[in-house]
Amino acid sequence: MKKLVGQVTPEERNEIQALFERRNGLNELAKILTADNAELYEKLVNDMAETSSKFQKWWDKMSQKYQWESTKNGNWEINFESCEIYLVN
Amino acid sequence: MLQYLVILLDDTSVAYCHAENPLKERYLISLNTLKKAILFGMKENLMIQYVYPEYDLPKEYSELIESIDHIKIGHDIKVYNDVTLSSTAGTAILRTTVADFISKQYDIAAMLSQVTRLIICLKDAELFQDEQIEQYKKALSTLSAMVLNLRKSDYQSEVNILTDRLTLKEMHNCGAGDSNITLAPNGKFYLCPAFYYDEKMGISNRLNHHKPSSERSVGDLETGLQIPNPQLLKLDHAPLCRICDAYHCNRCIWLNQKLTWDNNTPSHQQCVLAHLERNAARTLQQQLRAVGLNAGEEIKEIDYLDPFDVREKF
Amino acid sequence: MSTIRKRNDVWHEKMAKNITFIVTKDCQLACKYCYLVGKNEKERMPWNVAKAAIDYILDHENDPNFAYDSVVWDFIGGEPFLEIDLIDRICDYIKTELFRRNHQWFNSYRFSFSTNGINYASDKVQNFIKKNYNHLSIGITIDGTERKHDLNRVYKNSGRGSYQDVVCNIPLWIKQFPHSATKVTISSADIPYIHESVLHLYGLGIHEVNINCVFEDVWQNGDDQLFEEQLMRLADSIIERELYKNFSCSFFNENMGKPLDCKLQNGNWCGAGRMLSIDAEGNFYPCTRFAQYSLRDKEAWIIGNIHDGIDYNKIRPFLTLDRCTQSAPECIDCEVASGCAWCQGENFDAAHTHTVFERSTAICKMHKARVRANNYYWNKLYRKLELDGQREEFEANNAHVKPEIS
Repeated sequence: MKKLVGQVTPEERNEIQALFERRNGLNELAKILTADNAELYEKLVNDMAETSSKFQKWWDKMSQKYQWESTKNGNWEINFESCEIYLVN
Repeated sequence: MLQYLVILLDDTSVAYCHAENPLKERYLISLNTLKKAILFGMKENLMIQYVYPEYDLPKEYSELIESIDHIKIGHDIKVYNDVTLSSTAGTAILRTTVADFISKQYDIAAMLSQVTRLIICLKDAELFQDEQIEQYKKALSTLSAMVLNLRKSDYQSEVNILTDRLTLKEMHNCGAGDSNITLAPNGKFYLCPAFYYDEKMGISNRLNHHKPSSERSVGDLETGLQIPNPQLLKLDHAPLCRICDAYHCNRCIWLNQKLTWDNNTPSHQQCVLAHLERNAARTLQQQLRAVGLNAGEEIKEIDYLDPFDVREKF
Repeated sequence: MSTIRKRNDVWHEKMAKNITFIVTKDCQLACKYCYLVGKNEKERMPWNVAKAAIDYILDHENDPNFAYDSVVWDFIGGEPFLEIDLIDRICDYIKTELFRRNHQWFNSYRFSFSTNGINYASDKVQNFIKKNYNHLSIGITIDGTERKHDLNRVYKNSGRGSYQDVVCNIPLWIKQFPHSATKVTISSADIPYIHESVLHLYGLGIHEVNINCVFEDVWQNGDDQLFEEQLMRLADSIIERELYKNFSCSFFNENMGKPLDCKLQNGNWCGAGRMLSIDAEGNFYPCTRFAQYSLRDKEAWIIGNIHDGIDYNKIRPFLTLDRCTQSAPECIDCEVASGCAWCQGENFDAAHTHTVFERSTAICKMHKARVRANNYYWNKLYRKLELDGQREEFEANNAHVKPEIS
């Protein structure tokens, strides 16, 4: 079930969209990079950690700022087109 | 509107603009063709400009040539392919390279005192590089200093790339196919002599890759002028040029086609050269005004050399 | 909520650089309306050419021509999936290089394909999809009903229709990419099947049908009337069955068929020149339509190559194009100008001189017929909504629908 619980600004949307895209990019890159390519592999691993951390921080910061409704097992989703935030259970 | 008919009297007629004449074999226009050409010019109310070869024409041509008002390029207007200090003429054309224009700037400046009007035409404008901008500016500045001194001495020296912009209030370009048309010795019309040279040299017109052709003519004396897409030769159909105020720019249709493949679109080189000249004219204007001399309407300061770079603002 | 389904937004439209690899000029099909007149089996892109092209592009990150926030790497043929091994290698290299170079496009790229769908379900293609799923945009071309599809989309050797080999892959495609759209092409011969074909595609579960008449001068006397009749029948069916709520068809656009101002609405229709297309030889083009295999009469408009780079003089005409400069007076003064499309490549190919500034008007009567049917559609739809008491709500929800041209 999806419920509209808020909206962020386009600038805030751009931040999370870039992180979302980066995370997807890193995940798909991880499928082809192996530890043989040590330098790039290490860069990838570090970047994945860093991007995940930034990703979580964005949600923490925004939920703090906007005080969106939450539930125990639910999670928030963003619609990149409309900047709307949904609570999904 | 057509105003001029350029008649190439021979295949080896002098080159007087950007394009070199690569044709080495004489091919004199026939008397019959010349007669028809003159008649065409009379009926269309066109001023005739004969372009002469270096050799003397047979006597029988003189009477015909003199039967109508005209200008003789290569005779009345001398064409120089190198810098010369011995020229004395009313109007002279100097065809030079970018490199020579830069390296011989003092000699060229000296020519200004020997002619009333010097038309400088770069034979290799397409090879101009942005790295030469400062050197070109410097050469223009040398010319400008000479013009200033001559005018201070009451000598109305003119050089197309500097002083034309002072008096122009709108675009005044080469006008190939629009204000003038060229008739070649073969009795066919071309936008300008350069298109005839390309045809004769077999350079592809890029129109049909199945049957490559170098055909460039836009009509003949029998059937008249048939210029395809004539609107694209006019200023209002040139998106970059119609917003530009380098009014003296040649806006060479042949160079446009050669470098951008579209008749109505100037190359980066053409735009930059014209703007360097425009800006030099602005400086000259300020200097002329400072000494109380007339220098036309104010040329505004701009911060670009190629209108393409600021096209979104227009 | 009551809505009229709008067309999907194009991903990062205007913010994305579009780079097209012509990976092959071969295709299993020989579609009768195909503008690719020079298809062949020989010109397949070698890996070293693809790699050099990518290196050139990424080496010029700061060049104004590549200063876009996002990139769409487009793969075209012929049939691009014939070269799935090469494509897979190219995509792997792009991903790795974007990441290695800390290129901004790593945060914003797509791999885009327009395929005939014949080998969509093959293991190689499916493995590729799994590997790159989040960055893919894949369009399968299915032209409508079997008889409409097979009228044009036939195998090159046997002449057999390809419908059955494509339609079997549609469920998998829709499952993987539920928001995908198909592209339908209309030529003279298939006008009678427009109505049934669009409805058929909706029936297959394709919610967005992008459909256009070919730009070439193929239209016969009476085609416009027949076209108008078909679109009106389609309008009737969409409205009567309320299909407008969940399906869209690009034929119907509320902002189409209005006069346009030469100052305020003077943009060019197409992105040629802003795109970059690369062929097997390593030549660059302003759009694939300017490569030799796309041109009937004109010589290819090559703007550079992987060795010498881009000759920027050769893209100046494209980047200075505007609507009115390239249009004939009849188009400038046209009362129903908005929504009338053109293809810069076809304009060039059909032009009387070597120019991109001469707009072909071959499509004129078809556009006018479309406008009449489009007006009929919206008048009928709004009347129905009025009678159903839903008009205000629909109009409010539909207010954000973008005009077709600005």
